[in-house]
Amino acid sequence: MSFIGDALTILRKDLLLELRGRESLSLMLFLSLLLLVIFNFALNPDKDNVSSMASGILWVIFAFSGILGMGRMSVAERDEDAYLSVIFSPVSAESFYLGKALGNLLFLMIMECFTLFFFAILFDFEKIIGLLPQLLPALFLGTLGFSLVGTLFSFLSTASRYGEILLPFLYLPVVVPVILGGVTSMDMILNGKSGEAGKWIQLLAVFDMLYLAISLLVFRYLIEE
Amino acid sequence: MNIIKLKGIRKHYHARTALKGIDMDIGAGACITVFGPNGAGKTTLLKIISGIMAPTEGKAFYNSRAYSESDIKKETFYLGHKTSLYNALTVMENMDFVCRLFSFKQREKSVESTLRKHGLWERRNDPVNDLSQGMKKRLALAKGFITDPKVVILDEPFTGLDIRWRSSILSKIKEIKRQGKSVIVSTHLVEEGCELADHVAFLRKGKLLFINRREEVDAKEIYRLFASTGEARL
Repeated sequence: MSFIGDALTILRKDLLLELRGRESLSLMLFLSLLLLVIFNFALNPDKDNVSSMASGILWVIFAFSGILGMGRMSVAERDEDAYLSVIFSPVSAESFYLGKALGNLLFLMIMECFTLFFFAILFDFEKIIGLLPQLLPALFLGTLGFSLVGTLFSFLSTASRYGEILLPFLYLPVVVPVILGGVTSMDMILNGKSGEAGKWIQLLAVFDMLYLAISLLVFRYLIEE
Repeated sequence: MNIIKLKGIRKHYHARTALKGIDMDIGAGACITVFGPNGAGKTTLLKIISGIMAPTEGKAFYNSRAYSESDIKKETFYLGHKTSLYNALTVMENMDFVCRLFSFKQREKSVESTLRKHGLWERRNDPVNDLSQGMKKRLALAKGFITDPKVVILDEPFTGLDIRWRSSILSKIKEIKRQGKSVIVSTHLVEEGCELADHVAFLRKGKLLFINRREEVDAKEIYRLFASTGEARL
């Protein structure tokens, strides 16, 4: 099978796992809703200041819900050493990584759409739905980078006993450029400075390419003991 | 003809040395049982033979090619202490996934015949989580039949099984052996291990005490070696 075909086989399996186990996406959605409610009560935003806070609140939610979800997806692989089925097969480590990253990207995007929708309702900020087409490039590229690094680090961290606890400490420092780019570009778009967001979106694209290249190179060594 | 050759394999875990210079030749179609007490380095050795763990020193060859340039992982079935199954997926879905990994054309047919052969067809729609330990082990082994590997590596396949399941797994391993595959098994169970083996090896404190033809080894000697380490199982 082809490189992409193999990656899609992995993606298909991850979708099936989520459908059967409901351990990743459902937890992400629950945590994001919980954080939205907490932020809503804690910050008590009004219509005037919500646009200046929105991107920060949203990326904090994306980051923590995402870490939780990606960690769970990796635990499903490490449980019973299920990933060895893939290692002892003709599927390359790179295809395996790509399939996992695509699965994480898909779940993150679903969680983000869900969060944006409830953010608009809870914070009385419908404007964000109207701006979605403009937000999409920043959101997608930010999420892509998040998933590319997250897939690598979640697999690395879940190899150890306290992996899921360690994950945020290992992962967040590395993914800072993505969060910074995502928050800033989103903030500019929400505050009517779409033109200036372009350079941040370009930066996100560059980091995504860098993360992809490095991850494809090192994943092979990471799955060996 | 040797399918696997190990030369001077050493493995260090930080300050601890798990393997202290292992040399081993594994013939095509041969069955080797590796005995040894807990902590002797059996799992480390089997992981290195399978290619998922790199040795600290020494070289491993598969079909006369260095592991890094060989197809060892594509042509090996490895079953470690865990089952390598996705617990949330059903029996059928686990097998179907394996068939997809190997790009089988007639997946449904292959899965059905394998599951029927292994007495798992009736449980095909059950999640793996709902199976008993014996059933899980049998399903895990069934994957070894469907993918038709050249080398089968089983790390303590009888652990945690009662007598009924133990004999069921033993007969499945014999079936794998009859198919002409190279089989490497590690176990504490002297009788089962000897019943399977063409060659018997004994590992202690990271060193291979011997690797001999089965006929040349007295089971009592293996018991004696186990007893000297405080471990012996009938």
